[in-house]
Amino acid sequence: MKKRNFKIIIVILSSLLLLSLILYLSWGSYKISPLDIIKTIFGEGTKLQKSALLNLRVPRMLVGISVGIALSTAGALLQTITKNELADSGIIGINAGAAVAAVIFISLKTANYYSELGYLSIYVLPSMAIMGAGVSAAVIYFLSSRNKVRPKRLLLIGLGINTGLNAFITFFTFRGGVSDYNRVLIWISGSLWGSGWNYAKIITPLVALMFILVLLNHKKLDVLNLSDEHAICLVLNLNKERKKFLTFAAILAGTATAFAGNIGFIGLISPHIARKLVGPYHKNFLVISAVMSAVIILVADSLSRNLFSPIEIPVGITISILGVPYFIYLMMKEK
Amino acid sequence: MEAISVKKLSVAYENNFIIDNMNLSIPKGEISIIIGANGCGKSTLLKTIARIIKPKNGDIFINNKNIKNQKEKHIATQVAFLPQGPICPSGITVKELVSYGRFPHQKMMGGLNSHDKEIIEWAIQETGLKDFADREIENLSGGQRQRAWIAMTLAQETDIIMLDEPTTYLDMSYQLEVLEILEKLNKKKNITVVIVLHELNNACRFASNIIGLKQGKIICKGIPKDVINEANLKEMYGIDVKLQLSENGKYPICIEYELLRG
Repeated sequence: MKKRNFKIIIVILSSLLLLSLILYLSWGSYKISPLDIIKTIFGEGTKLQKSALLNLRVPRMLVGISVGIALSTAGALLQTITKNELADSGIIGINAGAAVAAVIFISLKTANYYSELGYLSIYVLPSMAIMGAGVSAAVIYFLSSRNKVRPKRLLLIGLGINTGLNAFITFFTFRGGVSDYNRVLIWISGSLWGSGWNYAKIITPLVALMFILVLLNHKKLDVLNLSDEHAICLVLNLNKERKKFLTFAAILAGTATAFAGNIGFIGLISPHIARKLVGPYHKNFLVISAVMSAVIILVADSLSRNLFSPIEIPVGITISILGVPYFIYLMMKEK
Repeated sequence: MEAISVKKLSVAYENNFIIDNMNLSIPKGEISIIIGANGCGKSTLLKTIARIIKPKNGDIFINNKNIKNQKEKHIATQVAFLPQGPICPSGITVKELVSYGRFPHQKMMGGLNSHDKEIIEWAIQETGLKDFADREIENLSGGQRQRAWIAMTLAQETDIIMLDEPTTYLDMSYQLEVLEILEKLNKKKNITVVIVLHELNNACRFASNIIGLKQGKIICKGIPKDVINEANLKEMYGIDVKLQLSENGKYPICIEYELLRG
């Protein structure tokens, strides 16, 4: 591979991000030109433009970007912990844990929960999902930590848990009846439909905070990439750090799943592309992976909203349809 | 002066004792090479000193201080260890890898300070990798790769370094290259070097102190010329060897050997 130039890659990716932001905000059943976007943001647009942009597209964009960053960062963390590039919160059962908690919560009766809990209700589902993700991560860790944690065992146990949890979700969907079935199905496929400011104002700061926390730990993550023996020599408390990063991954993945359902694949592909571009040094590749995931999710959600308008397809499906062939292409190109 | 000493050390996996009640001291400023048959406890000894394996019994002293009473971080600034077959994160460059060696010296926040950078430069220079600093490890030859790992170990800035079979899988010239770098570091910087090695002739040539192990017990210890003889090698490996002195008369060379039958 050629010598990587971090700065050039940052510039290219930033412009890609800018382009996808413009695409995202302007393309829709109501089109807004890029110039009008700027005008509207500075408070000069028409009433219609204001409402489409500020009430609908901007909050949804923020949720989308946050979900992308959360999933890609969780994926990167899990890949480092398990020393395996195939790890991802969707594959080892953390997303499924969040989904199970949410599905149980939805089926436990949603009818009067909005009225009872009032404005706090918006916090309940995410908290449940984060808890579900946490329980699932804790079970995986506990089961794989007999004697000592073996990365491979952790991954395999995660795969098993994931299958079990998904069976559980399917069971609940069948039991729920047609209307519940559809709702759960859309949610499981991963969708940003209906993401407004009430979502954005929770997920955006939470993901930003977690991302900074992860980034502050970049040196420890680097050392985790070496063999376990080597990491001990360099004075890294392996079990403590693994537990910590697994918790971070659970919070990130749980949050993302709570707001957007089970969007697969982005946690796998973004860190992978980032590593190809700038190498495995966490300080660099975590940032690139985050930007990458934002670009992917913005483009994919633009397509989801508009391709079959007025019907919207879940963004998770678009990401899979576009991402899988590209991913296979990458794999085949590999030496 | 002792760099490392172990007292009444016992190490076991489950109930299988690999090292049983060992007393050993490793002198400061010398190259000590540990030899012995497979499974004799060479690697286990180094791993125990490096805190990777917890001993069942006994004490380990580094620079005359018991490691039990010290912070791990403090120990990591005195002794560095290069394990056998280290895992390299794919796509990493020499410089990035070497900078990992600074980890025990760094605080959680903040990047590399000017001293860190100096040491990294120095380690790369000493191992002759200056022209390869920005190359990916995977694109280097076996010998260069091993030198990069040694540079990382050096970057830990310790006065003792231990290496577990650093020349395994390298061809003859690369083996020599690696050992010569270690010898140079020992002479120039007075770094205490402890190596586990399989290649007997190289061990005799480079060691100022050779330690022969068998089933976790010390068979011989001292200057190669004095302690590497037919009887000790027979005891350690169960082989019948023919030895002669090197051309300069400083160390013994094994010219041929046979398995002992029956």
